Amino acid sequence: MLQARKNRLWKLILILFLSAGGISLILFSLNSKLDLFYTPSEMLQADIKSGYRIKLGGMVKNGSINRNGTIITFQVTDFVQEVPVTFDGVTPDLFKEDSGVVILGYFINGMFEAEEIFAKHDENYMPPELSIDEGKV
Amino acid sequence: MIGEISHLLSLSAVLLLTLVLIFNLFFSFNKSHPNQLTLSMRLFNQSCWLVFISFGIYLYLAISDDFSIAYIASHSNSQLPIFYKITSIWSAHEGSMFLWIVFLIAWSYLFLNSLNKNHPLKKLTLLMLSLIILGFLLFLLLTSNPFERILPFGAIEGADINPVLQDPALAIHPPMLYLGYVGFVISFSFITAYLLNGNFELQWEQDIKNWSLVAWIFLTIGITLGSWWAYYELGWGGYWFWDPVENVALMPWLAATAFMHSLFASSKSDVLKTWTMFLGILIFALSLFGAFIVRSGIIDSVHSFANDPERGLYLLSFSGSITLLALTIFAYRLPALNSSKLVVSGSKESFLSMNNILMITSIFSIFLGVTYPLIIESIYGDKVSIGPPYYNTIFSPLILIAAAFIMISIDALWQRSMPLRTFFITTVPPTLLSLLSIYIVWRLTGIFSILAFIGILSGLLIIFSYLFKTIKNLSKKKYINKGSAVAHIGLGLLFFAVSMNSILSYEKNLNLAPGQTISVNESVQEFHFKDIRVLKASNHDVISAEVSLLHDGREISLNPQKRKYATRGQITSESAIHASVLKDTYLTIGDQLENGSWTFSLKINYFIKWIWLSAALMVFGMLLTIFKKKAL
Repeated sequence: MLQARKNRLWKLILILFLSAGGISLILFSLNSKLDLFYTPSEMLQADIKSGYRIKLGGMVKNGSINRNGTIITFQVTDFVQEVPVTFDGVTPDLFKEDSGVVILGYFINGMFEAEEIFAKHDENYMPPELSIDEGKV
Repeated sequence: MIGEISHLLSLSAVLLLTLVLIFNLFFSFNKSHPNQLTLSMRLFNQSCWLVFISFGIYLYLAISDDFSIAYIASHSNSQLPIFYKITSIWSAHEGSMFLWIVFLIAWSYLFLNSLNKNHPLKKLTLLMLSLIILGFLLFLLLTSNPFERILPFGAIEGADINPVLQDPALAIHPPMLYLGYVGFVISFSFITAYLLNGNFELQWEQDIKNWSLVAWIFLTIGITLGSWWAYYELGWGGYWFWDPVENVALMPWLAATAFMHSLFASSKSDVLKTWTMFLGILIFALSLFGAFIVRSGIIDSVHSFANDPERGLYLLSFSGSITLLALTIFAYRLPALNSSKLVVSGSKESFLSMNNILMITSIFSIFLGVTYPLIIESIYGDKVSIGPPYYNTIFSPLILIAAAFIMISIDALWQRSMPLRTFFITTVPPTLLSLLSIYIVWRLTGIFSILAFIGILSGLLIIFSYLFKTIKNLSKKKYINKGSAVAHIGLGLLFFAVSMNSILSYEKNLNLAPGQTISVNESVQEFHFKDIRVLKASNHDVISAEVSLLHDGREISLNPQKRKYATRGQITSESAIHASVLKDTYLTIGDQLENGSWTFSLKINYFIKWIWLSAALMVFGMLLTIFKKKAL
């Protein structure tokens, strides 16, 4: 009886130990693989290291889109600060001036190098943070 | 007027279901009356028919352009073909919830009426199902009413369906997916009824086996169609984005797959019964969690519907209570359920349980990936997102271990340990052959990627070991489980195709003026931009480019388009795809520059079709299992 209980206790400890190990591995992997979301003002304040991939959300500034070959540059604004963005490729259908975008990429030497551009499949989309900010402006 | 009838029918269904519940909960202790169940069933069936007719009328309203109904007015249009008038019903929240409920009722109706009249679990299952249906009907009518009128005057013209949704694959994707999701309400309520009943001598596996298999097939088809649509319609060239909404569909799928495997084990060898029950409850709980994530708008995604806290709260509390109820009953009965039978290590069921654990681990990891941003945001206020790298690192070791267990378990026996000799005979040849194939891939492509090689290895281990087994058994005229072999080869093919796709596919961005020809690389020797034209179609304008390619010595002509829709002013891209056995040539047209030239995105996607083929194989394997003569 006592032996059986002891065995069960060991089993329980082993299971707890293993799952704790598994969960911490997953959490560790999570922390190194997640993309933080910033608005232009937040990003300029935050002092981001250049090897760190982030998401930048804001509005495409009116009149700032400039295309040269397949490279496109534009300014993303939150109506307070602006960040220049460069991207090589075809932009999504809903990408246009004065509308919301979320950009995945790296901030290197004052230029945001985009890996991917998302424009939501909804013509009235605006990043949630901005809809609050714009109310104030 | 007709709209009100439809509305009223749904309301009456609510009334009848409430009656069923009150009637049974208050009088259930008076066991003597034999007609109680008959009467309850009659009431239940009638309420089902009320909802069916109500939905039928709603279909009619959509087809006949009744724009006085707010939902139809904002999602349909009189210019649409009838097919899309119907599918516009499930293009947004209210209507798709209606469809979801109709399917829920259809499954329940069919299942309950197929059960024998004197089945001991019939009454409890009926109660569980009535409770769930009632909860969702109330959710529909209280928070997301599709019958709402525009008063006093209806709209003259509808606002049209979102053009990216005007597509046959997307039209059938939600119904298939919903049929899968809600199909597991049967295992959920039947198992809960079994646990409540407390007579554990009863056999329950056989009664729900085929129902769950069919639901699994729908779920698989639904997910695949969604992925296929995203590939050719969204113009991103990808098929899976680890988007939160894709993840919440994958979780019930994994749970359902684990459930079916342990269902086979528990009916073969009497072990894992408790575990199987837990999984049977978990699948529907995860489906409900998915509905909450998608419909509350709590997570921002391509798929999510408009943000509405009221809906989220209702769904969360209702799904939460239902799940909690089932789990409480489960926990309460747990001590009585524990069977004394142990899993023999080295037996078929031991490997099967290992893979069950792996599937649960994957579900947990996905769950964490979906909820982690929410947790971080509510604690630290930071917005974060979790992308493919997380899932790739988590999944690659898991699938390799799973593949190894699948390979070993092929020749393992039920309830008996496996001799070491058999172990080596089954595992060594496929392992060597897979490693050799990877070496060949490495030499041929010159690409070395650990993650992809793990994926290829996992896929090939499964494919080779099943092929060997099939050939061996066919030559000896021994029995082979065809369904299992086909489905597992499908799974192996999926791992293989996804990994090959990830290392071989590439993308080129080009900039050309009409009439210009350039050379892209050794494979695409010639890219000739012939002409660009503006055409008019019924409800949109088309900009159509004519491009001809010399790809691997073969001439291909492609017509990528951009469409501008009249009603919404929305622009969509139509990628042009040329498919060959190994790869797709995928061309999207971008924007016009000031000097009159255009940008293009050319993607060469390898093994894409093999991914769809692998899903088809899995479904086909499952069909073979269902129609197999020998039961379980």
